Amino acid sequence: MNVLIIEDEKALAKELEIFLTNYNYVCEVCYDGTSASERVAVNLYDFILIDLGLPDYEGLDLLKEAKASNPDAAYIILTARAEIYDRIKGLDMGADDYLAKPFSLLELQSRMQAITRRKFGLKNNIVELGEFQVNLTDRIITHNDIEISAVTKKEFDLIAYLILHKNRTVTRNQLSEHIWGSIINDDYDSNYIDAHIKNIRKKLNAFGPPDWLETVRGLGYKVKINA
Amino acid sequence: MKLRTKLTLFNAISKLVIVILFVLLLPVLIKNININYTDSRLRKQRDEVLQTVKNVGIKYYIEDGKSYAGYTPIKDVYVSLDEDTTAENLDNIKNEARKVEADTIQYRILSHNFKADKKKYLLEIGISLDTVNERTAPLQSIAFMVLVVMIILTILADQLYSDYILRPLGLIIKTKLIGQKFPNFGSYKQVETTTDDFHHLDISIHEMIHTIESTFQKEREFISNASHELMTPISILQSKIENMFEQEDIADEIKGRLLEMQKILNRLKSITKTLLLISQIENDQFLKEDQIRVSSLLQEVYDEISIRFQDKNINYSVEVRDDFLLVNINKFLLFNLLFNLINNAIKYNHENGDIHIEASHENGEYVVEIIDSGIGINPADIPFIFNRFKKLKQSLQQDSFGLGLPIVKSIADFHRIRIDVASEKEKGSTFKLIFPASLIGR
Repeated sequence: MNVLIIEDEKALAKELEIFLTNYNYVCEVCYDGTSASERVAVNLYDFILIDLGLPDYEGLDLLKEAKASNPDAAYIILTARAEIYDRIKGLDMGADDYLAKPFSLLELQSRMQAITRRKFGLKNNIVELGEFQVNLTDRIITHNDIEISAVTKKEFDLIAYLILHKNRTVTRNQLSEHIWGSIINDDYDSNYIDAHIKNIRKKLNAFGPPDWLETVRGLGYKVKINA
Repeated sequence: MKLRTKLTLFNAISKLVIVILFVLLLPVLIKNININYTDSRLRKQRDEVLQTVKNVGIKYYIEDGKSYAGYTPIKDVYVSLDEDTTAENLDNIKNEARKVEADTIQYRILSHNFKADKKKYLLEIGISLDTVNERTAPLQSIAFMVLVVMIILTILADQLYSDYILRPLGLIIKTKLIGQKFPNFGSYKQVETTTDDFHHLDISIHEMIHTIESTFQKEREFISNASHELMTPISILQSKIENMFEQEDIADEIKGRLLEMQKILNRLKSITKTLLLISQIENDQFLKEDQIRVSSLLQEVYDEISIRFQDKNINYSVEVRDDFLLVNINKFLLFNLLFNLINNAIKYNHENGDIHIEASHENGEYVVEIIDSGIGINPADIPFIFNRFKKLKQSLQQDSFGLGLPIVKSIADFHRIRIDVASEKEKGSTFKLIFPASLIGR
């Protein structure tokens, strides 16, 4: 999939490019609005990541312009100015999602995945994990066709996030940013992820061993899928 | 006491003192005036008699050595003229009794002796003192009435004038000082006055408010700009660390250290985000258009926070006695307010401790109480717990930076929610949120 990254902070643009290339996206980078405006006029993209705070261009104007030439692309707004009005305006103008800086790269990828699933209408998105089946569309976990209803919404979010980044170690920080990102509180080192994982293991163990949910010592957690 | 009341009181008291003084002095004064008047009448009479004697001769009054005496029928005035035997010259006025026919009457008598036709004569003219005093009474009452009327008039005039002249001061107090939400004073409107002092006061207050306001504004802008500016470098660092972490050729030991860096960066990020949130709240950048039942809001907070009860095995209970509907609120902010209060109740609680939430409508107040059985707060510290970055001595070595309660306070102020804190050491704390009627829906 083709991604256009419009970001005036070169160091950040570079990291986005490295990360997305790793996830098999084909990336192009623009550091200013003028070149981005030229680029969208000639090329077609699947994803356009756009920083609203460009020095030479009104971000929302650029979004409008890009939408005219690339109507099928998915748009994700990246901004350091996390004003709610911008958010409403951005989403009104047809952006598909919105990420406030600083954001986790994993979060960006999960948003892009979600958009892809939505756009291509993937149904029965079922992942086989040992004796378990995880249905990412209906958000249920089953064991031999028996639904494990004890798993809460939060716990499912954690499992789904780990599945999305399968075979990679996801740190506790990345996990808590995903599930508690919008909560503002003054704890900066919480280990409540461990408590959640403990609960998940306990609930699943009643049905079968969740070997696929691995603890990476001192680092975080990983869902292992042999494909 | 108000300035106007003080002035009125002084005004009335001073007038009263004047009235009393005057009433005390009046009889003496009037008497004196009367005596003076009587005396001058006596002298006029004397001069007339002397003039007659000079023009016509003593014979007009006295013939063949007889003395002359005359009375009016009621004996209020009497004149006598007689040969005088005393040697010295007489010309005085004094009060004396005279026997006239059967009555003894007090007279004010002018005695004067003079020579005529080589003989010495004594002239006496008297006016009865009763007559003099008869005039005193009506004079006194007239003077008293005039005085009362004048005093009432001056009190009224004083009152009206002080009202008029103090009106600008009242306006300054009413429009500039009372009922203004600090530091949002709104626009300046000059108070009309011709009194320089009030004008000066008005301008000075305005200038002080302006200075305070702009200082606040600058501080808010600074926090807002600083935290915004910090977001981009934090974002770059975070991305770099995440990318490095994913690289396959990196040893686990390095990964561990990258994780440490991520944690520290996370701390920086939390502080910055929190400061930004507070400044956004203070800059009124949030809408208040949501509504939610208090039970639903508490349920949402529970869903997010329940995992945190596990570690300390905390017994959490909620009692919604009155499930009121909150309107004109920002749900995101109120959620964070409750989350932070309950989170604190967990952090400062003991193992197997209790947290009890109560929502009720009592005595016309809509209240949510968060009651914990934690370590409590020193009463002397309670006024400071909402200060930014304030870490109280007792606060444990927790992974927090002292912005939890400042967020709570900012959100509460934004919604005009009052917070009452009660606490007892080692017994626990109660945070009481009192919602204004404007946030309660039907």
